[in-house]
Amino acid sequence: MAARGAQTGLLYRSMNTVTIIGSFSGEGECARAVRAVRTARIDDFHTFSPFPSHKIAAAIELPKSPSRWVALVGGIAGILTGLAVTIGTTYEWRLNAGGKPLVSWPPFIVITFELMILLGGISGFLAFLFMSGVPAFESASGYNSHFGEDRFGLVVRCTKEDADGVESMLKTAGAEEVVRGV
Amino acid sequence: MASNADAQAQPAGTTLMAAGAVMAAIGAISFAIALWSGDAQIAWEAYLVNLLYFLGIAQGGVVASAAFYLTQAKWGGSTPYRLAEAFAPFLWIGFILFFGLYFGRAGIFPWVLHPIAQKAAWLNTPFLFARDGIGLGLMALTSFAFIRVSRSEEARTWAVAGEEIDLPPHAIRFWAPIVAVLYAIIYSLIAFDLVMSLAPVWRSSLFGWFFFAGAFWSAVVAMALTAVVLRGRLGKENVFTNPVFMHDLGKMVFAFSVFWVYLLFAQYIVIWYGDIPVETFFIVQRVHHMPWSPLSIACVLLIFVVPFTVLMSVRAKQTPAVLGGVAMFGLIGMWLERYVLVVPSLSRDALPLGLTQLLITVGFLGAFIVCAVPGINLTARAALSGEAIGGGE
Repeated sequence: MAARGAQTGLLYRSMNTVTIIGSFSGEGECARAVRAVRTARIDDFHTFSPFPSHKIAAAIELPKSPSRWVALVGGIAGILTGLAVTIGTTYEWRLNAGGKPLVSWPPFIVITFELMILLGGISGFLAFLFMSGVPAFESASGYNSHFGEDRFGLVVRCTKEDADGVESMLKTAGAEEVVRGV
Repeated sequence: MASNADAQAQPAGTTLMAAGAVMAAIGAISFAIALWSGDAQIAWEAYLVNLLYFLGIAQGGVVASAAFYLTQAKWGGSTPYRLAEAFAPFLWIGFILFFGLYFGRAGIFPWVLHPIAQKAAWLNTPFLFARDGIGLGLMALTSFAFIRVSRSEEARTWAVAGEEIDLPPHAIRFWAPIVAVLYAIIYSLIAFDLVMSLAPVWRSSLFGWFFFAGAFWSAVVAMALTAVVLRGRLGKENVFTNPVFMHDLGKMVFAFSVFWVYLLFAQYIVIWYGDIPVETFFIVQRVHHMPWSPLSIACVLLIFVVPFTVLMSVRAKQTPAVLGGVAMFGLIGMWLERYVLVVPSLSRDALPLGLTQLLITVGFLGAFIVCAVPGINLTARAALSGEAIGGGE
């Protein structure tokens, strides 16, 4: 799982920058490092974690994903489809079942509900794939296979002048290892 | 300073206890007056409704605590456990009051005066009071055995250690599943005997489940309301001021409200499809006939529609006034639900609510409050102890 911080882009391309990779054994330490880096107003960073971490997400203060709205629209589309299918087919093929009214809501609720879940879920999932950039064919910079197993990673891109400060920040927050890249 | 801290840790003091005792006395006197003045039927109906309602909250709370252990819940330190167990002493009052039904049995159980031959082996007075009495007694004993280990230092240490992944203490692992399984069995039995047998020809195998899931939810909303009230009374630094904690409580209220309506619908649709008169009359009377129809609709609104729509957002769950309001309406809705389950079977066209019912309800509430005071003080102490207040990480 890679979560991106707000990237300035400008810094990223500059030649005067270095990459610092911190490796953490716990999500709490990683989140603390993220907070320290953000407090120092360094915004060009991203994190790796072996599982989706609420603590790290809260530290980055990621904005809420618009995929929620896609799921909502999908769910509403599911409700409308469900009603259209049930009511439509009943009128198309009029069957008197046990003297019940032609349009009887109790069984229709079941179908409408299931279609709401189905379309809401599928559209939310597709929106998630699209928003998160999956499938990615190139791993993000600073990736290390430990970050997919039992370590949390924080990759910071900063100017050479800030580099020492950032390194000590990561160590203070509890990094096991801090590596400087190019 | 020390006296101030003590006052904060005793939010439910003697004043509240006295108020509860006065309310209980008012209820008892109204009940006696109703019996003497010929309103015995109304009085016994209100007695049964309130017994089921308050017993459900007290027992549902203990089961909630057991459920927290079974899911290894550490989202609020030891506070959720103390909060859920706070109402438990009412179990003993309820156990004693249950036997009071013996004196009102002729008015409450239709099969006492008009026995049903095919069901007489099950629906007869000695067997019913024996099995339900043993059941409620066993439930109370088990609950208190569980609470005793739950309040031990060992269990508290486990609940507070947020980062550890150890299992709960061994005694907890022994008692918590017993409480949960016994609850499902005994409260199904209570639902069949004290609610379903009031309409002795009606049957639904799902009814017990529906009944105890509702009781569980009423305990969850009672916890949420207590948390909101304590939050305001305990000063600035307590667990209930932590938005993460209130969010979790709100999630519980939301989730089990959906569960209640799921069981309601699961039962409704089967009866609707089958369309067998012996099953449908129970629903038709409550949903389509006056004066019960508006009450039934109010139940669905207060227990499902309002919590579902209002508590959908995170911010609503974290706003004490909103969560407390929903919980308050939920408690009223759950009381109405128990009322609509019980009373239409006995008084088909009676005026739904009156002063007698209200005063008897006040009496039960008073007894419930008196029972809850020590537990609420324990909850306050846990909430002030500094566990799980941070919540930033």
